[in-house]
Amino acid sequence: MTAHMTEDQTMLKDAAERYLRDSYDFNQRRERIAGGVYSDPSQWQAFAEMGWLALPVAEEFGGLGLGTREMAILAELCGQFLVTEPLIDAMAAAQAILGIAQGRDQLLPLVAEGQLIPIAAIDEADTASRLTPATTLTQTAAGWHLSGAKHWISAGASATHLVVLAQGSEGLAWVLVPAAADGVECEAFPTHDGRGGINCRFDFALEAEQILLQGEPASKALEAYRTLAMTLSSAETLGATQAALDTTVDYTKQREQFGQPLASFQALQHRMSNMLIQTELTRSLIYAACNASDNGHDDAARFVRAAKVKAATVGRKVSQEAIQLHGGIATTDEYIVGHFFKRITALESWVCSKGEALKEFMALSPS
Amino acid sequence: MFSSAEHRTERTPIVNASNPLPTDYDTFRTSIRAFLREALTPELIRAGERTTSVFSDFEAGRQWQSILHARGWGAPEWPMEYGGTGWDIQQRYIFLEECKLASAPNPVMMGIQMLGPMLMHFGTEAQKTQFLPGIISGDDVWCQGYSEPGSGSDLASLKTTADRDGEDYVVNGTKIWTSMAHHSNWIFCLVRTDKNVKPQAGISFLLIDMATPGITVAPFPSLDGEVEQCQVFFENVRVPAANLLGDENQGWTVAKYLLEFERGGQHFTIELKKQLGKLQRAMKNPNSRAIDDPTYACRVAETEIDVMALEQTELRIKGSLSAGDNPGALSSLVKVSGTELGQRCAELLIEAAGQSAMPWQSEVLAPDYTGDTAAPAECVTTMAEYINSRATTIYGGTAEIQRGIIAKHVLGL
Repeated sequence: MTAHMTEDQTMLKDAAERYLRDSYDFNQRRERIAGGVYSDPSQWQAFAEMGWLALPVAEEFGGLGLGTREMAILAELCGQFLVTEPLIDAMAAAQAILGIAQGRDQLLPLVAEGQLIPIAAIDEADTASRLTPATTLTQTAAGWHLSGAKHWISAGASATHLVVLAQGSEGLAWVLVPAAADGVECEAFPTHDGRGGINCRFDFALEAEQILLQGEPASKALEAYRTLAMTLSSAETLGATQAALDTTVDYTKQREQFGQPLASFQALQHRMSNMLIQTELTRSLIYAACNASDNGHDDAARFVRAAKVKAATVGRKVSQEAIQLHGGIATTDEYIVGHFFKRITALESWVCSKGEALKEFMALSPS
Repeated sequence: MFSSAEHRTERTPIVNASNPLPTDYDTFRTSIRAFLREALTPELIRAGERTTSVFSDFEAGRQWQSILHARGWGAPEWPMEYGGTGWDIQQRYIFLEECKLASAPNPVMMGIQMLGPMLMHFGTEAQKTQFLPGIISGDDVWCQGYSEPGSGSDLASLKTTADRDGEDYVVNGTKIWTSMAHHSNWIFCLVRTDKNVKPQAGISFLLIDMATPGITVAPFPSLDGEVEQCQVFFENVRVPAANLLGDENQGWTVAKYLLEFERGGQHFTIELKKQLGKLQRAMKNPNSRAIDDPTYACRVAETEIDVMALEQTELRIKGSLSAGDNPGALSSLVKVSGTELGQRCAELLIEAAGQSAMPWQSEVLAPDYTGDTAAPAECVTTMAEYINSRATTIYGGTAEIQRGIIAKHVLGL
């Protein structure tokens, strides 16, 4: 089924897909991750050269100023090729937070060139809600001070800068913290989806220009960031879901049992038909959510949450089925399909879980 | 046993939309709305509201078809030359949506939606001239003779025979699940004309006048107690060879083309959005089992999200149709998810209604019924709709057949 794309969008997709097919080999990826390299600097440089990192940056700051739909095209490919570099993470932080922050004229060109890799740090270990941080930004006679801890920062080990959500005197605040700064204590851990995660503790003095946003604009940036992150994580989930389905279809055509290909058994055919039906339905909703966001549609926030719920539900089901239909081979680390399953699982709760998205969808519904 | 309906010979001429509507969509919608407000009587609206399956009250549906035909809107999807409207896909969608929102009744559509396109594609000029005007006006009511007691999903195994004898075919056998046969004066049938080739290659497509001697119609009630389904018996029924649609033994090709129209021509989300409205009302109704139930609200929200996804998929398909593509196997995708979502809505509604949906009161389905109802107003048809929703994944190619089509034609399994 065709999904309408402009000529420019088709070119972006084709070029990006060609690059990843040629340069993002699954086995090399496995060896790299086994060697503790979760994000390859030469890949990041290549992403910059192809203009991917300029995509969320406005033209006046050296970027391409493209929309959610274009970012989602790249996100989908990240899912398909299991990209471990923090592309959706950096795109979402760059556009939604840095894009409206003070000092953006300095920061954004660095993002587009690949020198600044911003990753948002929102979650904390002991707060029930992700939206009311215990990390504080305070102003004393001596100046600004950041104090607190952030947890479970996906791909945090690959960031040059953390974009930290804190509670300030005027409401929320976003603070830019160089990952290598004095006073930042990080504890790194590998994650099941091939990334370098970190937990960080902050207790140090800040320069005023490190405070990106405060008060109302900071809250708006949080909403924009969450909405964009939900959209891009849905798109990445979709890419991984489609890839898990394609891998399963190919495998069942080749694998023979009882003297015939697995694909010839109706019990399996119908399950794969269900996987396709649900994947296509999800695709429609995600593209609609992107277009609603790009067109400033009144219903955009609601569409994005609907897409997130659908992508999470379908991604989980399809990737579970992919493992079951393969059989034992899919439970090994050297086979690709389980890696889609792991990445989909990680994305389900990244920034906003399915359950949170459903609750927000219901709250946004006209009563 | 019913005898077949009388064959009407008087025909109204084909009417084109004499008064072209504005193509600007908002204005278009407004003018459709104005027409519906004017044309729908309280009886017709009641018939629409108390529709519990694909079919509304037969007479109400027929009356509505003749009103639409008089306005030039008897078959909006047809080409202009046969009486169509010339509306684009979006306008046709708006028309269907507004009809549904205004609770217009559903006429028997087998002639317009299914046979019409086949006649235009495979028919001779004489056949088109003979049959199309009666279809669009609603003067002729057509039913579909495909399934047989021994041939359901395996349609190609059908056994009703048509043997050539001079200028006629002589038809013997029986058809079942022939919806509305007791109201129809014509039937289009798949019949076996060659027993010595592989099953699909020996089937022909015949147009049969129900008034022909040797035809018997036996209606039987469905699970909801209402009569829509029939079995039709053919005993030495003589059909002029001129009533063969397409070539002899080409019937399977004709039928496949038709099945695509049956599936691709449906817009499930129009109906589903109406169901969602009922679910929202059920959650606010103090007499409903769903009131203040957060677990129910979650299930409704997830259902709504699935309807949004289907709607966007229908729009994608509409986009490729505008670009000239054939819906092909995608109509199977929409049919499976549209019908299964409809079942989910019906299930949620019966859960909210509980015992209050159990009274069975057939007379309330009559459009002129204005008396009291045993069930609360909003639950009068809930049980019948739930019961009939189970048939939606069986008729028109079962959900299993559709999944098989997807497996073969999309996944290449």
